[in-house]
Amino acid sequence: MAVRPQHMHDGGIVERRLRPIYDWLDNGNNKKALQEAEKVLKKSPSLSAARALKALALFRLGKGPQAHALLDELAAEKLSDDTTLQAMTISYRESQQLDKVCALYEAAVKVDPNSEELHSHLFMSYVRVGDYRSQQRAAMALYKFAPKNPYYFWAVMSIVLQAKTSEDSTKRGILLSLAQRMVDNFITENKMEAEQEARLYIMILELQEKWEDILKFIESPLYAQLVPGSTAQACIPYLKKLGHWKRLNLLCKELLWDNQDRWDYYLPYFDSVFQLMKESDSNSESTADDTAEKCHEFICQLVESMTSGRTLRGPYLARLELWKRLAVDGDPTSLLGSGVALCVQYLRVFANKPCAVPDLRPYMAMLPQKEREERSREFLTCLGFDENSEPDNSDDIQRHISCVAAWRIAAAPLPASECLCLANTLRGHYLRCLSKGLVTATLTEFCATDGYGVLAAHHYFFAAMQQQSSAPVIEALGLLELVLHHSPANFHAKLILVKLYHFLGNALAADSIYQRLEIKHIQLVSLGWLHAARLAPGGACTRALQLLADTKAFHTHHQKDSVEHLTYAYKYGTFEKLVELRAWGARLEQCAWCACVARHRALLALTAGPAAPLHAPCRLPQEATDNRDLNVIVSYEPPEAQDPNLKERTFDQELSYLRLKDALVSSVALCIESADSRPLEERKPQYEELKTCVEAFSKAMEKCREKYAVSEKISISAPFPSRIIAFVTSPVPYRELYSNTLYMVGELAMNHTSEAHALCERVAGLLATVPQCLAEPEGAPDAAWGLRDRLEALSNYLEFIGIVTFLLGVCNELVAPTNTKKSKKKTSQSPDEIRTSELLNKLNEAVQNSITFLEETFEKLPQYDYQSTLEEQFAKLNIDKYQNPVETKLKNGRQDMINDVMNILKKKSKYLKSLIQ
Amino acid sequence: MTTIRPFTCEDMLKFNNVNLDPLTETYGLSFYTQYLAHWPEYFQVAESPSGEIMGYIMGKAEGHGENWHGHVTALTVSPDYRRLGLAATLMNILEDVSEKKKAYFVDLFVRVSNKVAINMYKNLGYIVYRTVLEYYSGDPDEDAYDMRKACSRDVNKKSVIPLAHPVRPEEVD
Repeated sequence: MAVRPQHMHDGGIVERRLRPIYDWLDNGNNKKALQEAEKVLKKSPSLSAARALKALALFRLGKGPQAHALLDELAAEKLSDDTTLQAMTISYRESQQLDKVCALYEAAVKVDPNSEELHSHLFMSYVRVGDYRSQQRAAMALYKFAPKNPYYFWAVMSIVLQAKTSEDSTKRGILLSLAQRMVDNFITENKMEAEQEARLYIMILELQEKWEDILKFIESPLYAQLVPGSTAQACIPYLKKLGHWKRLNLLCKELLWDNQDRWDYYLPYFDSVFQLMKESDSNSESTADDTAEKCHEFICQLVESMTSGRTLRGPYLARLELWKRLAVDGDPTSLLGSGVALCVQYLRVFANKPCAVPDLRPYMAMLPQKEREERSREFLTCLGFDENSEPDNSDDIQRHISCVAAWRIAAAPLPASECLCLANTLRGHYLRCLSKGLVTATLTEFCATDGYGVLAAHHYFFAAMQQQSSAPVIEALGLLELVLHHSPANFHAKLILVKLYHFLGNALAADSIYQRLEIKHIQLVSLGWLHAARLAPGGACTRALQLLADTKAFHTHHQKDSVEHLTYAYKYGTFEKLVELRAWGARLEQCAWCACVARHRALLALTAGPAAPLHAPCRLPQEATDNRDLNVIVSYEPPEAQDPNLKERTFDQELSYLRLKDALVSSVALCIESADSRPLEERKPQYEELKTCVEAFSKAMEKCREKYAVSEKISISAPFPSRIIAFVTSPVPYRELYSNTLYMVGELAMNHTSEAHALCERVAGLLATVPQCLAEPEGAPDAAWGLRDRLEALSNYLEFIGIVTFLLGVCNELVAPTNTKKSKKKTSQSPDEIRTSELLNKLNEAVQNSITFLEETFEKLPQYDYQSTLEEQFAKLNIDKYQNPVETKLKNGRQDMINDVMNILKKKSKYLKSLIQ
Repeated sequence: MTTIRPFTCEDMLKFNNVNLDPLTETYGLSFYTQYLAHWPEYFQVAESPSGEIMGYIMGKAEGHGENWHGHVTALTVSPDYRRLGLAATLMNILEDVSEKKKAYFVDLFVRVSNKVAINMYKNLGYIVYRTVLEYYSGDPDEDAYDMRKACSRDVNKKSVIPLAHPVRPEEVD
C-alpha cells in the first residue's frame, strides 16, 4: 500500500523535503528511506512528519522497539498534523496496533476540533477496530460539523451494525427503529440522494421484517428516481415474503415476456404458480397462472414466441423445471409427457453447445431411475448418432460428445470390459479427429474434440476402479497429456491429470501439471484440497512445504488487509457490501484449510524444513469454515453415484484431522516450553498443560479410530479420502508413539526420571514393532495401484520420525545443555543421569534404525509397470512426431520424490548421531 | 438460461471454472474487494440454474468532464457457457449502468491477438480508439487496443473519433 497521502496540502517546502522519503518507502527501499528521513531531520529536527516516516522505515526494517519508542514520543505530543498522523497510522496498522490509531485521532480532534479530515480519520479508526458505538458518535459529530449525506448515513450504518451484533432483542429493536427514524426524517426532508442510501433503508426495514413498508418504498417515486428501472425486479422478494402470489405471478410473467432467459424470474414465477395451485379458489377467469396447465401453456407460448434468431435455453429448461416440481408429489406425465422425452428434446435442440450436458445434469436426477436407464440410448441416438459415429465438423462433434455424455449420465454404469471398450472408442475418435485436422484448439481456446479425450479418460478411470488395475489409468494419462499438448488451455484435462497422477502416487508428476493451472491467491484456498493437501502424503515434502508456505502467506496477508476494505466501503457509501465484506473477512479468517495449513507446515517443517523454531500457528478457528470448491472437476457418473453428503462428511473428517494436528503442534510447543531454561517451578504450568493436551490427543485418536473405520469410495471428482483415515486406522500405533514420546519429554523436563525412563523404553520398544506394521503387502501384482496408499502410510511414519528426532534434540538440551556441555562432562554424573543418557541413546538408536528401515523401504519402492497402447494407435494413424511424456514423468517423479525423502532422512540421521553422548 | 445478480465475495470461492481459463487473470483478493466496495453495481455475475458461475463482468466509472466513462476491467465467460451470447448480455448491463451514471462512453482494453474478443466487441458497436503499445507485460510484451463505444450523452460521438497514432501505457489516463 502506498504510503504517500493522496492529498498533500502543503505543496511547499515540507512536501518537497518529504517527497524522497515517500518515494523510497513506496519503492520498498526502507533503508534509503531511513537515511533520507535522518537527513531531513538534521535540517529540521522538529518536523514531525519526517519523524513519523522514520518510525515507519524503522519498523519495516525490523526495528520494532526503536520504531515504537519514536511513535510513543510522537503520540505524547498530541499532534494534529494529518501528514504525520497518516504516516503513524500506517505503522500502527502494519504492527496490528489499530487501537492506538483511535487514541491518536481522539487526541488530534481535541487539538483541532474544526478539521473535517481529522474527524473522518477518527471515524475510520473506529471502523478498523469494529467499535460501532464510537463510530456512531464520531459520524454524528462529523455531520453536525459538516452536514453531508455520507456522514449522516455513516452514523445510521453504525447503528445498524450495533443492532446486528446485539444479542438483546429489545435493544436491537430500539436501535433499528432509531436507524429507521433517522432515515425517515431524511426522506421527509427530501434529503436522500443516493442509491446506496435507499438500499441501506431497505436493509433496515428488512432487519425489522417490515415487508409491506419495503414494498411501499420500492414503489415510491423516490426509489424510481434513485434506482431507475429496477422497481419491478426489486419487488420480487418482498411479494414472496408477503405471500402476494397473484401479483408476483403477473409481475414475473410480464418480466419473462421481455427476458425469456432470466432464471431469476422463472423461479419466483414457479413459486407463485405452485402456491396459487394450493389456494382452492382457482378460477378460469383469473389472469394469473394458478394451474399447472396454465403454467405449461405460458411456457409453450414463450417457446413459440422465440423468433428465428437465437434459440434461448430459458423456456426449454423451464419446462424441465415444471416437470421436476410437479414430480415432487404427483405425476407430471399426463400434462408434460415423459421426463426422459423432455430431456432428450432439450438435448436435441442444444447438443451443439457445450452447456447442454451441464444444463441437463441437475434434471437427470428427477427421472425415474428405471425408465431413465432403459431409455438411456435415446440420449445417444436422438440426433442420429451412436457411439461409433464419426462426425467431421466441430458443430457435429460437439453434438456427438453431448449425446454420448448425456447417455452415460443417464445409463446404468457399464461393466469394466465395456467401459474400457467405450474409452478406447472415444480415444479412437479423438485420434481420428487429430489425424484429420479436426483438433482446432489454440493456445487460449480449447475445442469441441477435447471432449472425446476427457470423456474417454473418465471411462478409463471407471474401468480401472472396477479392475483395481493401474493400466487403464496410464492410458488415461497418456491421452490427456496428448489433449493438453494440442489444447494447452484445457483446464478440464489439467485437473484430471493432477488427480490421476496423484491417484498413482506420483505427487511430483501431478505438480508438473498443477503449475500449468497457475493457481494463486484465493484459489490456494478453494483448490488446496486438489494438490497442496496431497503433496506431503505423496512423499513430496519439500514441494509441500513451499506450497503450504504460499497458502499461509496468502492467509496472513488477507488478515492484515481485510479491515481496510471496510473503510473503502464507508468511503464509497456501499453499505450493503460493508456487511458482506465483514462476513467475508470473518469467513476467511476462520478458514479450516488455512488453519490446517498452518499446522501441517509447523509439523512438516520439523521433518523437511531447515532447523528453525517451531512455527506457532494462529488460534484454532472456533467455527471453522469450509471454503473448498469441490465442483471444479466435472463428473460423468449417473445421479445415484453422486454423494449428496460428500462435502459435509469430508469436511467433518478434515476438521477432526485439524484438531488432531492442532493437539500435536500444541504438544510439541508445550514440550519446548516445559524444557526451556527457566527454573523448574516456573515451567510446571506448561508441563501440566502438556499432560492435558496429550491426554486429549490420545482420547481423540481413540474416538476417531472408531469413527473413521469405514473406508471411503474414491471418485474422480471428489477429494481423496481424508488423511485422518490412514492416520487413525494405521497398524502403526501412532496414539501410543506420539503420546508416550510427548509425555517422556514432559517428565524429563520435570526431573521425573523414573517415569521418563519407563516412557523412553516404551517408545523404543514400540519403534521396533513398526517395520512389521509397514511391511509391503505380499504378492501385489500391480504395484502402482497400491502406491498412493503405501506412500501415505510411509509419510505418516516419516512425519513421526521428524517429530521424535526434534524432541530428542529437546531432551538433549535438558540433559546436556549446549552451553554447559563441556564442563558437565568433567563433573561426575549421578546414576540417574547416566541412566537417562543411556536410555536416550537407546531411543536415538531405535529412531536411527527406523530411518534405515525407511531408507530401505523407499529404495525398494516398486517401479511403474508402464504399458500403453496409445503408441500403437499413433503408428496406425501416422501420428509420430509426438512423444508421450507419461512414462518419463512417472519415472522421474518417483525418483525425485525418493531423492527428496532420502535427503531428509540423511539429515535426520546425521543430526541424531550428533546427539549421542 | 441465466440468473444475473451482483457478484458477491463468496463467488470468489467458486469462480474456478471461469478463472482457470488462461486468459482470465486471478487477481489478489483486495483487487476484487476494492471493486466490490467501490463499484458494486458494475460487478455482476451470470449464474446457471444449477448455481455454477457462467461468467462475470467487472468494471468501474472514472474520469473527469467529458472523459467521465465506464470502464470494463474484466469480462469473462466459462468455456462451457460460450456461444450463448452471455458476454453481450453482461456488456449490456455495464453499458446500462454507465448510461445511468451519465457517462460519455464505455471503454476497455484487449490484447491485439485476442481476435475472438475484438470481433465480439466490434459486433457490439465498439471501435478501436487507439493502440496502446506494450500494455500487457509478458514475454514478449503485447500491445492493447483501447476500444470504445459512445453513450447517449456524447451526442456528437466525440469520444469515438479514433486516434491516428498509438500511445504508450504511461500516456493513458
